[in-house]
Amino acid sequence: MQPFALNYARPAAELEFATPYAYDPGLQLNVLGDGRIAARDHALLRELGTTTSTAGSKTHFDD
Amino acid sequence: MTVLILTSQEDVTADMVVVHLNASGVPVVRLDPADLTGTVALSAEYVHGAFRGHLSSAGRLVSLESLRSVWVRRPGTAAARAPEPSAWLTEEASQALYGMLRGSGARWMNHPDAARRARHKPWQLRLAQSSGLPVPATLITTFPQAARDFAERYPDLVVKPVSGAHPQDPPRAVPTTRVPPGVDFAAVAYGPTLLQRRVAKRADIRLTAVGDRLLAARKATAPDGDPDVVDVRFAPSTAPWHPVDVPPRLAEAVRTYLREAELAYGAFDFAEDADGTWWFLECNQSGQFGFVEVETGQPISRTIAEWLAGPGPQHHSRHADCCGSAAP
Repeated sequence: MQPFALNYARPAAELEFATPYAYDPGLQLNVLGDGRIAARDHALLRELGTTTSTAGSKTHFDD
Repeated sequence: MTVLILTSQEDVTADMVVVHLNASGVPVVRLDPADLTGTVALSAEYVHGAFRGHLSSAGRLVSLESLRSVWVRRPGTAAARAPEPSAWLTEEASQALYGMLRGSGARWMNHPDAARRARHKPWQLRLAQSSGLPVPATLITTFPQAARDFAERYPDLVVKPVSGAHPQDPPRAVPTTRVPPGVDFAAVAYGPTLLQRRVAKRADIRLTAVGDRLLAARKATAPDGDPDVVDVRFAPSTAPWHPVDVPPRLAEAVRTYLREAELAYGAFDFAEDADGTWWFLECNQSGQFGFVEVETGQPISRTIAEWLAGPGPQHHSRHADCCGSAAP
């Protein structure tokens, strides 16, 4: 009784991982351990893939 | 006047926009509706024919009449982190917050009503057709025989979720997948199934629309790539995204789509075939853009910041204050 599309399902990618930055409520921005603004470090964002279009997100499907 | 951003704390893509707003000196209040009744609070009164309201978050207080725009980016479920969360409290908090904001007159990116409608992919396909965008032959059905007939007409098919959502119990992903020849379509009867003619693509196109501004990027398909890997999100390709010009007729069609959908922001996915035609696949009204910007250098976050920092409340009819055609 499984819908047709689910014949092609696969385990969701693990999206939870530790990021090297943390949210600063005062700045309203995520900040790296050395105080730099994470969003200014495009090389880091590319490496982490945190801005990437993904699939299987539990909370969002607007990728 | 203030820009209100509704998103999660970990949304580093939103940070890219906040950085530009800060540089422009535009006041920003960022909050996650999930924190309502915790670090986020609200109040509004309707007295003697007047309406006044306030929001506070992490020590910041903003009046609703001072909001110039609301960016609904990646908000959490309202009151999800309340001390005693419940479905009832979520509904109460959601109605209070979004109901108050609807009365503010601020411009929206995107208005919740427009966003909800725009998530319906079958509706997207029809709007794309009527807007003049090429749409691959598509069937959505629960009739196995209709699927068989469609497969006879279009032997090379892909299947993908109708909603774009993925099953969560257990967490699984349903990528766009090529349907093997001779497959048994009987299970089509157990759930609406979206079948679409596979576009033999030579590139993926991501077109990010911000108001009237269109920024497109192209990722070439590897010539020796596996033709069975259709979904770019699951492809191990290392090919980079490059900026690409938008063909004028397609740009006109995209703007028609945005105007009809009443969207100020949209992330369009196209498949480019060997003839150079861009086939519409979908438009995600809150699609990611950070990965395109960091690879191409296209000023998407700056363009979003400029749109959000545009003129304040405009009391137009319906969602006119959220449309892509609205003045920035």
